[in-house]
Amino acid sequence: MQGKNYRLIKLVSKIIIYSLVILAVFLSLAPIVYLFITGFKEPDLTFAIPPVWKFTPTTQNYREVLTTTNFSKYFMNSVTIALITTGIAILLGSLAAYGFSRFRFRGKFWLKMSSLIPQMLPPIVLVVPLYVLFNRLDWIDTRQALVVSYLTFTIPLSIWMMTGFFDDVPIELEEAAMIDGCSRFGALFRVSLPLAVPGMAATAILAFIYCWNEFLYAVILTGRDARTLPVIITSFMTNKSILWGRIAASGSLVLIPVIIFALLAQRYLVRGLGKGAVKG
Amino acid sequence: MALTQSRIHWTFRRLLRKFEPAFYISPAFIVLIVILLYPLGYALWLSFHTWTLRTFKQGIPFSDIQNYTQLFSNPDFLNSLRITLTFVILAISIELVLGMGLALLLNQDIKARGLMRALILIPMMCTNVVIGLMWRLLLNYQYGLVNYYLGQLGILPVEWLSSPQVAMWSVILVDVWNTTSFVALMLLAGLQSMPDEPFEAAKIDGASAFQTFTYLTLPFLKPIILVVLLWRFIDTFRIFDVIYLLTAGGPARVTETISIYVYRYGFQSFNLGVAAAASFIMMIIMLIFALLISRAIGKEE
Repeated sequence: MQGKNYRLIKLVSKIIIYSLVILAVFLSLAPIVYLFITGFKEPDLTFAIPPVWKFTPTTQNYREVLTTTNFSKYFMNSVTIALITTGIAILLGSLAAYGFSRFRFRGKFWLKMSSLIPQMLPPIVLVVPLYVLFNRLDWIDTRQALVVSYLTFTIPLSIWMMTGFFDDVPIELEEAAMIDGCSRFGALFRVSLPLAVPGMAATAILAFIYCWNEFLYAVILTGRDARTLPVIITSFMTNKSILWGRIAASGSLVLIPVIIFALLAQRYLVRGLGKGAVKG
Repeated sequence: MALTQSRIHWTFRRLLRKFEPAFYISPAFIVLIVILLYPLGYALWLSFHTWTLRTFKQGIPFSDIQNYTQLFSNPDFLNSLRITLTFVILAISIELVLGMGLALLLNQDIKARGLMRALILIPMMCTNVVIGLMWRLLLNYQYGLVNYYLGQLGILPVEWLSSPQVAMWSVILVDVWNTTSFVALMLLAGLQSMPDEPFEAAKIDGASAFQTFTYLTLPFLKPIILVVLLWRFIDTFRIFDVIYLLTAGGPARVTETISIYVYRYGFQSFNLGVAAAASFIMMIIMLIFALLISRAIGKEE
């Protein structure tokens, strides 16, 4: 009798746990799925109440997005800016992270924390003076202006995450290599770096996504030439009307790479964000 | 002779060793400082000058601390400070509670945990612009899905974005949707790295689930909770994109956070001096809070 009761309780709690988890997954994904579906609806179906779920999908919104806005050019802008920024940030960030992970010195904790300050600065604080600076350099509406702006948050991010990943590589491995005649630099490149590659990839993906998603700098510092995709999405909101079909289509196009990347790196992303601080 | 040479060599080696960390760490810091020095300096300078569309052609007059004093008697600015703090506190508390619940759920012995974790992660990666617009459509009073399905459940339609009483909660709702997964996954990582022994001991001693949670789980998670708090604080305090696209600070300024306020002053009324002063005040408040959280993290180590 006792055992039967116990099994029943276990079953019920299992059902509750599973339904709550599934509810969480549903709530996380439903809005995004709705966005994707809206992208394939005829514009006059967008606002149909009750909502229409059965309809013949149309690529009209996508065609309009791709033909009316020079989308491929802005796509290339987004990709190039995010790639260059990520490359520089990973290089500088990994070096610094290695320094934080492998050496003990006075004031290390606060130096590491202060590297987060640029990340804490609200973009709204920096965007006006950056505009003035780039105006003097004649860099307004260029890709390099955005690369420089994005370094302010990608470098701190990579220092933070890479420190955690280097901490995971046992220092003994490097010491062994150095005893065998490797220089410290050699030990870094031959021993620690290869072991930290998955973490580095996750960091790069996160930095890329941050640049890809950025809006405020992009909308203020660029004009016709260097625009990135988030700005293009908002260009479908005009004074007269909001073109929801096109917003949904372009929004979906922007989200697809993000979702793929996030799924690829998910295991390391969370670990990296957490580790940086929990271990000294 | 040979001795001095080796001594010089030795001193040099020691010096080199002492500065070795600098070799790795300084490039990143130098680049950041070079990028930030001018903008921060210029913003500071601006905050002590009167820069408006009227003044900037004929030289910009020095205005002492007038921008700052003006701000503290400006009801809109004080309103934006209050709105920001309300948003930060409410959003983070709800996210921490929900995130903890979700983390504890995912920490149970469930199948396909990896897949669930991956799917739940997606909202936190999404482009803010898309999130803002997507929710603006979902929460639309007349055509939004949320009101329609609430109607099916017999709930009257809510003016999510246009009612001054509700708009703040809608903004919080969207932020909770966006980042609870981040909180949950960080806490889950913490839960999974905890040692088993104390929990087994507690079980043997007959501790209730609640006791185990408050006396074992929470203290173990404290360092990671502080890190989550730091990240969430940084992001909620300066929130801009989502609110800008969702409500643009309205209705009647009930969702006008400091970032939106600065944006309005800087780019709509082009009063850059005041905007810079406001953004400096914002930065200082932020750094103080971040410093306090960092100190707590430092103590944990």
